[in-house]
Amino acid sequence: MAGGLSLYQEGASLLHRAHPLTKGVLMLSAIALAFIAPSLYWILGIALILLILVIVAGVLRRLIAVALALLLPITVLLLAVQGFANPANHTVLFAIGPVVYYTEGLYIAAIASLRITCLVVATFLFSFTTRPADITEALMQRGLSPAMGYVVQSALQIIPQTLDMAVRIQDAQRSRGLETGGSLPKRARAYIPLMLPLVLSSLVATQERAMALEVRGFGLPVKRTNRYEFADNAIQRITRWALALAVPAAIVARFVGWR
Amino acid sequence: MGILNAFKVRMNTLAIVLIPVCIAIDWAGHAVASTLKLPLFLDSIGTVLGGLLAGPWVGGLAGLITNFISSGTVDPIAAPYSVISLAIGIAAGIAGYYGWHKTWPGRVALYILIVLVASIGSTPLNMGLYGGQSGLPFGDSLYAGMVKGGWPTWLASYIDEASGDIPDKLITVVVAIVIFFGLPNRYRALFSVWRRTGDEKAPAPAPSV
Repeated sequence: MAGGLSLYQEGASLLHRAHPLTKGVLMLSAIALAFIAPSLYWILGIALILLILVIVAGVLRRLIAVALALLLPITVLLLAVQGFANPANHTVLFAIGPVVYYTEGLYIAAIASLRITCLVVATFLFSFTTRPADITEALMQRGLSPAMGYVVQSALQIIPQTLDMAVRIQDAQRSRGLETGGSLPKRARAYIPLMLPLVLSSLVATQERAMALEVRGFGLPVKRTNRYEFADNAIQRITRWALALAVPAAIVARFVGWR
Repeated sequence: MGILNAFKVRMNTLAIVLIPVCIAIDWAGHAVASTLKLPLFLDSIGTVLGGLLAGPWVGGLAGLITNFISSGTVDPIAAPYSVISLAIGIAAGIAGYYGWHKTWPGRVALYILIVLVASIGSTPLNMGLYGGQSGLPFGDSLYAGMVKGGWPTWLASYIDEASGDIPDKLITVVVAIVIFFGLPNRYRALFSVWRRTGDEKAPAPAPSV
C-alpha cells in the first residue's frame, strides 16, 4: 500500500515501535521549539537531539541522501543573499572588491538554515519510521473522520498511478508528433496536450469509484471498529504531554526574557 | 446571500472521492512541468480545479492535503505553506460559487485573487523561514538588489514572492479553466454540490446516498 510514495523503512528500533501519535507530537514540538528557540546554540541543541534519534532509528544514511539535496541549495542561497543584503548588516566579515560580506547576515542565515534543517530532519524522522496507513489509522482512532482518512490513503495510492499515467500519455502524444523539447515556448505549448487527457481520464474514473465506495457502505453514519490497536503505554503518554506542553512553556519563556 | 453560502455544500461521496483526484492532479501538474523543464511549480492546478468544480471545501482540503503529503515524502519545507494551499482552494471555491470562471472579467479576477492570496499569504512565511527570501534564485536576486537599495524588507520580500507567483498562477488558472470547460457537461453538473439561491438555475443534482 502506498509503496510508491511512502518513505517508510522497515525497522525494529525504539522509534519504529513507538505509537504514531508519539512520533507525530515529537515532530511537531521539535519543529515548533526550533522556531521558538532564540539563539544558534539552542537550535543546534535541538538539531543534535534529532540527529541522535535518527541514528537510534537507523535511518541516518537515507536521511543524508534526501535531506542534503533539499538543504544544500537553500543554505547556499540564504548565506549568499543575507550576508550581502540584510538591513542589520554593519560588521564587515570580508570584501572582494566592491562586494562586501557581513557578519550579522551570516549569523541570521545560519539561524534560518539551521531551523529549516530541524524542520526537514524532524519530518523525515517521522516519515522514515511511520507507515502512512498507521498515521491515518491512529488519527481516526482519535476522532478524525473516516472520510478524511480515506482521502489521505486514497491520495497516496492514486498519486503514483497518476504519475505513471502521465508518462504513458507523454509517450503517446510524442508518438503523435507532440514536441516536448526545444525552446521554452515550444515546451510550454506541450503542457496542455499532456495535462488535459490525464485530468479528464482521472476525473471520469471518480464516478465509478464513488459508486463502488457507496455500495460498500462508505457514507453510512455508523461507528467504525478499529482494524488494530497500537501499543501504547504510560511512558509514551507522559512523553507526548511533556513534548506538547514544552511548546507553550517555551513561548512563555521567550516573553519573560529567554535570550 | 453572502459569501458564506459557498460553504453550504453537501459533501457527498462523489465530492469526497474528488479530493484525492485533485491531489493527484496537483502532483501530476508539477511532474509534467518538471519533465518539460518549465521554470514554474504548477502544483495547484488540482486545487483550483477542485474549488471551481465542487466548492471551497473540496478545493481547500485538496490543497491542504497535497502539501501535507509532499511535506511527508519529498519536501518537508512545503508543510508551513499548506495554509496557503488551503486558502487558494477556498478562494477558487468561492470564485466558482459565483461563477467567475464563466466570464472574461471573472477569469481575470480569479487570477488576480489567487495571485494575491498566494503572494500575501506566503510573504510572512518567507519572512519567518528564510529571512524574507522565497528560495528561488530569480526572486532572491531581486530581493538582494532591493534590500541593498534600502527598500523595506517586507516589500522586497513581497516582490520576491510575487515575481514567482505571477507567472505560475497565470498558467495554473488558465490550465484549470481550460480543463474545466474540456469536461463533459454531465460531469460538471455531477460535481456541482452547492445549493444555489435566487433565480439562478440549479444544476442537475449529484447522486447521493
